[in-house]
Amino acid sequence: MGILGLSKLIGEVAPHAIKDNEIKNYFGRKVAIDASMSLYQFLIAVRNEGQQLTSADGEPTGHLMGTFYRTIRLVENGIKPVFVFDGKPPTMKSGELEKRAEKREEALKELEKATEAGDAAMVDKFNKRLVKVTKQHATECKELLTLMGIPYVDAPCEAEAQCAALQKAGKVYATATEDMDALTFGTSVLLRHMTFSEARKMPIQEFHLDQVLEGLKLTQNEFIDLCILLGCDYCGSIRGIGPKRAIELIREHKSIENILKKIDTSKYQPPADWEFAEARKLFIEPEVADPNEIDLKWNNPDEDGLVKYLCGDKNFAEDRVRGGAKKLMKARSGSTQGRLDGFFKVLSTTPAQKRKGDEKKNTAKRGKGSFRGKPK
Amino acid sequence: MFEARLVQSSILKKVLDAIKDLLNEATFDCSDSGMQLQAMDNSHVSLVSLNLRSDGFDKYRCDRNLSMGINLGSMFKIMKCAANDDILTIKAQDNADTVMFMFESPNQEKVSDYEMKLMDIDQEHLGIPETDYSSIIKMPSGEFSRICKDLSQFGESMVISCTKEGVKFSAAGDVGSANIKLAQTSNVDKEEEAVIIEMQEPVTLTFACRYLNSFTKATPLSGQVILSMSADVPLVVEYKIGEIGQIRYYLAPKIEDEDS
Repeated sequence: MGILGLSKLIGEVAPHAIKDNEIKNYFGRKVAIDASMSLYQFLIAVRNEGQQLTSADGEPTGHLMGTFYRTIRLVENGIKPVFVFDGKPPTMKSGELEKRAEKREEALKELEKATEAGDAAMVDKFNKRLVKVTKQHATECKELLTLMGIPYVDAPCEAEAQCAALQKAGKVYATATEDMDALTFGTSVLLRHMTFSEARKMPIQEFHLDQVLEGLKLTQNEFIDLCILLGCDYCGSIRGIGPKRAIELIREHKSIENILKKIDTSKYQPPADWEFAEARKLFIEPEVADPNEIDLKWNNPDEDGLVKYLCGDKNFAEDRVRGGAKKLMKARSGSTQGRLDGFFKVLSTTPAQKRKGDEKKNTAKRGKGSFRGKPK
Repeated sequence: MFEARLVQSSILKKVLDAIKDLLNEATFDCSDSGMQLQAMDNSHVSLVSLNLRSDGFDKYRCDRNLSMGINLGSMFKIMKCAANDDILTIKAQDNADTVMFMFESPNQEKVSDYEMKLMDIDQEHLGIPETDYSSIIKMPSGEFSRICKDLSQFGESMVISCTKEGVKFSAAGDVGSANIKLAQTSNVDKEEEAVIIEMQEPVTLTFACRYLNSFTKATPLSGQVILSMSADVPLVVEYKIGEIGQIRYYLAPKIEDEDS
């Protein structure tokens, strides 16, 4: 699940690196979407009165619903999405995956308990925890995307890493995922909340890696070590070292090797057989397909094909599917709006200077935040 | 210490009205040479470049360069509090958190002052290359405003094509299509009322009507508008602001897709 507490840490230490933006400002941009993440979101979020949407024979269709409508939303806003699917998980992730399997089992037990007790809210909660994205879901989505004329990429390994590779090669403008480790893999622009429902009115959060590094005062390699210390998917971290301490240590000692030499390891115990060096290697040289050999093409949607695929067994309404296909088609016609920054070079960026009033503003904000949290 | 006095306060009110649609907030850079503002709209499609020269003010003093981050909506509210014949004085201390606007009635009997908080704004300065535009169209600003308004009813985008004969504005959409042709004025009596075309090469470009309509909010500032176009570069729409400066809008053209 990405890097523990990284977004919070960036928000505190390098707030300039995060910008809120509206979806409509991303027109004309190509964006690599971490498909496993978004499928998971769809399976959880796209529901009808707490029940999963299913086809005639009981197979869930929430992921198709989500992929269909939310992709249309992106395309209508002029965005050109490309979906990137996970390949095999890296062997180093097995520990993390085991943990997740355990949690699922726990959830399953809790679910049984809740069902017995007849607690609907709890049943719902644990049902959601049991959601898992399977191969079948991914395959169905790929078929759907092909019919929609949207390209996808099969990553050999982690999707975030492949997204980052596409972005670094200039094939796309940004990576859209909720997983912060896309930054650790070197994506220079990360977008969060891109595939969220429109109804939630969540602004898109844009993270710029160069500004993150500048704000944290770290190099990319030091940043990777910081992420490992915070807690990543591939290995454990040192108990008792939280985000604040981790960043101090990295700034002072530059690498995990040096930190281990300096700190009192009896007080702060590193995990036995700590494979941080391997994890680091995984971030620096992840297994990805060569982005230069990937050709991204956006095609016309196949309206009849979509109707055939989604209606019938899968219980989609034909008029809505046809309407969606028309929207896709309409967005493809006509030319795209150019951007000024494509013509004029940015000479300098002056971050907002600190004014005297700033401190006051901060406390005011904090005050507001706690107020919001109070129960009515 | 910064102080600038403008007898015609209504000019600044019109300027604010001309930019507040595109920009929510922006930084005024004040220096010895005058007040400048350069900012892109949120979507990075258009850019406003405003220049008010120091010699155009009735009194101007700027000891140290000063950047004032301003919420333009709030500033417009303040400007609306002034009567049209009021005299305006803008004042700010070096490194101040606030800026002061003072309005005096012509007979000095009423003096009102408004203090406004400044903001912290991230600034991106764009380098705009000097360009020899292949077509330059001068026309009455009211005419241009009318054309933009009329054509935006037909489609989201407008094609402007400039040839030796004249300039053609066209739009097409679900309803149908619209074309407006303007020929060069043969007898130029008053330059402001004439259509003048200086053309090296014919150009045709497509632009979003929405932005053009926002630009025409500057129409009250000047009777004449100057459109400068070259193939594959942004359009420039310029309005002179009396004797004091000018406002330029840059708009990125719409481009055909290459990878679809």
